[in-house]
Amino acid sequence: MIEQVKEHVKGLLASGKIAGFLGLRNDAGVVTPFLFKQEEQLDSSFSLGETESQGTMRYPMAKLALHLIQNCDDDSTYGVLVRGCDERALNELKRWNQLGNPDRIVQVGVACTLGLAEEHECRKPFPDEFVAGEKVDPQTNNSVQQVLAKDLDSRLAFWSAEFDRCIKCYGCRNICPVCFCNVCTLEEDALIKTGNIPPENPMFHLTRAVHMAGRCIDCNLCTEACPAEIPLRTLYKRVAEIIADEFSYVTGATGEGKSPLNILGSDPGHTAAND
Amino acid sequence: MKKLIEFYGIDPERLSLKWVSSAEGPRFAKVITEFVDKIREIGPSPLRPKVLMEAVSVEKAS
Ligand code: SF4
Ligand code: SF4
Repeated sequence: MIEQVKEHVKGLLASGKIAGFLGLRNDAGVVTPFLFKQEEQLDSSFSLGETESQGTMRYPMAKLALHLIQNCDDDSTYGVLVRGCDERALNELKRWNQLGNPDRIVQVGVACTLGLAEEHECRKPFPDEFVAGEKVDPQTNNSVQQVLAKDLDSRLAFWSAEFDRCIKCYGCRNICPVCFCNVCTLEEDALIKTGNIPPENPMFHLTRAVHMAGRCIDCNLCTEACPAEIPLRTLYKRVAEIIADEFSYVTGATGEGKSPLNILGSDPGHTAAND
Repeated sequence: MKKLIEFYGIDPERLSLKWVSSAEGPRFAKVITEFVDKIREIGPSPLRPKVLMEAVSVEKAS
């Protein structure tokens, strides 16, 4: 599988289609994102993230691609390694007008193994097009139903106990491929008091949840990153369900479209459900 | 928003979102008075620290 990806990327580099390839490299057992510019670099260290001790390492490739595009001096085109979740994130970033000219990103897709798809209960473990791997069945995550089965008091007790462990490391926000704001509400003292651990709850986490509405593409990176093992995804999944019910909007889909929460002006077709 | 706080375990009736223009003084007074009456009826918030701490310790123990 890895050889197919390497050959494909080498072809892109050799033809001059891309100025570099944003992928992963394994440097003495440590997997990190890396911008490959030469074919030899691919031969010596390119990785799909597999490690012996920790399973497959994932990074928010879409977010890294966004930073690359925003911060490079020229308007070159770059190749980016994408799994199903990375593609959803790129799609969503496009819909939020973050990527500028989307043609500057050439996706190099890989389909995930069944093991990885199961581990993250991934709803689409493959991008639309991929150069390596095989399509495996989408997986489901039932954590939302589990919370909905509780009554109001038990839900509050459940979430409060979870969020009580938060050490406010901002890891969930930092890893999130669709968290792209330059100024973050979570750091505004006037809105959420700073300097407390755990942070002011439920304000801190509900604020983040609201900001994930019409954005979260359910990659599970936040939950995986959280040192306090808080099931963040469950909260954002519920938010996504609400957006799907109210606005018929599904995040991360390929093609034209706009998130209903990124429309200024005329009514996106929603009436006063909150009245 | 109501559905979100309900998922979190807060009675959605505790939240009201209404658009009131600055030219609508009497409506503003009406909206606020009605909501205050409603909240009085529902009673104190489950988010008050003492109530919440008890719920959390029960959850952690279970
Ligand atoms: S990653 Fe976890 S501990 Fe860190 S801020 Fe987010 S919820 Fe809190
Ligand atoms: S699952 Fe978490 S990290 Fe992934 S898009 Fe949603 S909020 Fe962001």
